[in-house]
Amino acid sequence: MNIAVCVKQTPDTESKPILSPDHRQISDEGIVWIINPHDESAIEVAIGLRDQLGGLVTLISVGPNQVESALRQGLAMGADEAIQLHCSEMPIDQKMTAEVLAEKIRSLGCELVLTGEVAIDGCGSQVPQRLGVLLDCPCVTGVEELSIDSGQFTARQPVEQGDKIHAGSLPSVIGINRRIMEPRYPSFKGIMKAKRKAIHKEEVLLNSADLLIESLMLTPKKSGGKVVEYQEGTAEEVVKYLQTHTTVF
Amino acid sequence: MLPIVVIAESVGSKLTPSTLEICHVASMIADSLDQDWLILINDAAKNEAGFIAPRVISYALADGECHAPDMHASIAAEIVASSQLVMMAATSTGKDVLGRVAQLLSVSLVQDCTGFEMDGDRLLLKREMLGGKVLANVKINSCPQLVSFRPRSFPTTSPLRQVPVIESYTGKSFDLRTSVDLRKTTRSTRPDVTEASIVVSGGRGLQGPENWYLLENFLDVLGPDATLACSRPVSDEGWRPHHEHVGQTGRTIAPDVYIAVGISGATQHIAGIAGSKYILAINKDPDAPIFRIADYGIVGDLFEVVPALTNAIRGK
Ligand SMILES: Cc1cc2nc3c(=O)[nH]c(=O)nc-3n(C[C@H](O)[C@H](O)[C@H](O)COP(=O)(O)OP(=O)(O)OC[C@H]3O[C@@H](n4cnc5c(N)ncnc54)[C@H](O)[C@@H]3O)c2cc1C
Repeated sequence: MNIAVCVKQTPDTESKPILSPDHRQISDEGIVWIINPHDESAIEVAIGLRDQLGGLVTLISVGPNQVESALRQGLAMGADEAIQLHCSEMPIDQKMTAEVLAEKIRSLGCELVLTGEVAIDGCGSQVPQRLGVLLDCPCVTGVEELSIDSGQFTARQPVEQGDKIHAGSLPSVIGINRRIMEPRYPSFKGIMKAKRKAIHKEEVLLNSADLLIESLMLTPKKSGGKVVEYQEGTAEEVVKYLQTHTTVF
Repeated sequence: MLPIVVIAESVGSKLTPSTLEICHVASMIADSLDQDWLILINDAAKNEAGFIAPRVISYALADGECHAPDMHASIAAEIVASSQLVMMAATSTGKDVLGRVAQLLSVSLVQDCTGFEMDGDRLLLKREMLGGKVLANVKINSCPQLVSFRPRSFPTTSPLRQVPVIESYTGKSFDLRTSVDLRKTTRSTRPDVTEASIVVSGGRGLQGPENWYLLENFLDVLGPDATLACSRPVSDEGWRPHHEHVGQTGRTIAPDVYIAVGISGATQHIAGIAGSKYILAINKDPDAPIFRIADYGIVGDLFEVVPALTNAIRGK
């Protein structure tokens, strides 16, 4: 079974963002780049399925030069091939991302497309759903359990009222949540092997964006937070404080 | 033309609380633009919707109440294609469905917004990025504008005294591509983490599931709007169910008061709670990062502090 995994490179959770002078972009300065954690688990799932069922795992990432390192890391984990859909900037409108991904995936002809449920930087939460529509196949997102058996899939998606168990046939698009499984660390052998692999780089033209960032600001630091050492009477004091500072006590 | 549409979620014959918030937003925008708004809803809850919105379009789903998201989205896309603004709550179902509607209509979508301002007939949408470290104002240029709002970002709307105007969707029907079986988890009678006004959240500092009685007792004195949450390792260990897990890989919440008990405050945890209006933290380590975002921090042993708080509230 051939599997495509859509991989986004995102800033590491611990990175301290700095804004561009016009306050419309987050500057690259000081950012440590990682594979979006949900996508990293999607790669892990793909490798597991390939080892079980055969076929190839192909990673696809849309973005500027630097996304190569995310692809390299995915190859080191054990993916077979990597495609970079190169554009000068990371698209901000996920409609554009999904459209270029879908076009490439169509030409690959895979039975399963995995993505992360959401990217932790922009939190767009829409690429898998859009891919399902564009590729005209079933899509389940937010998946925490997945099984594939003779061309059929079963996927568990937690929702507010419980769990939705979706069943359908391949090809399909599955949006993975990190909780499905922790990804492996690349082995030394994997890293060496990945260094020798070629990353297929293709230029893509993005349509003009219908989504505009008007302005960004860094979330103001909470000031005046009060920290006290617990002692006799603290509890009563806290309750009084909550009564005057919040509306629900 | 349909100017403003709310795609509703319902449980049984009731609209969900987060849908009632979206209805509040819709009626506010409709008033300011002097336009009409309506609710699009599953048949089972159309009567309640009739007392909320000036107009209702209801549809029957082949799978009854268990919404298959692709069918739900296909029907919605048929109906809302010519509208100006389409909104839904940013719940798991809301985000799932709206993502599909967006591509069916080939338009842009902004998920999980926490507020907005009007800019002519466009919404200037407020949302968080990078786990709450950056706040963004974004605008959609395509039409309809598709938006989901994070639960608990707005007040809920209340029923009107009016004669309901309900139409049935009689358009195209859609085949189910997947079968979807909803397994309802038996939950306590307490609200969902995304809906509660007070959330008491337990971390690894509680040492084991057997100590959750401390938080349960605490909840009992906080009243019916309070509920439990937890950090990721707590749900990974199976101490608490997954649906209580908040953070980057769990739920995103914005309660009036978030009470972190024995939680260190890792960045991935903060990503899910940064929108809380007030944060109270209890931790024995004065250097715990949670204190950096807490409005009030108590440095102490939770096994002592939580029972004392419970007693103090009981006696207030
Ligand atoms: C990709 C990725 C995604 C993640 N997603 C999430 C997520 O969604 N949500 C999440 O929560 N985490 C997430 N994590 C994990 C996160 O990094 C932290 O490891 C986790 O939040 C820590 O949980 P904790 O605070 O319960 O435990 P700990 O970090 O172990 O903290 C326990 C705290 O309890 C305090 N304590 C201990 N005993 C007492 C006592 N008697 N009285 C008072 N205080 C006490 C300690 O001082 C300590 O601060 C993620 C990690 C990764 C890598």
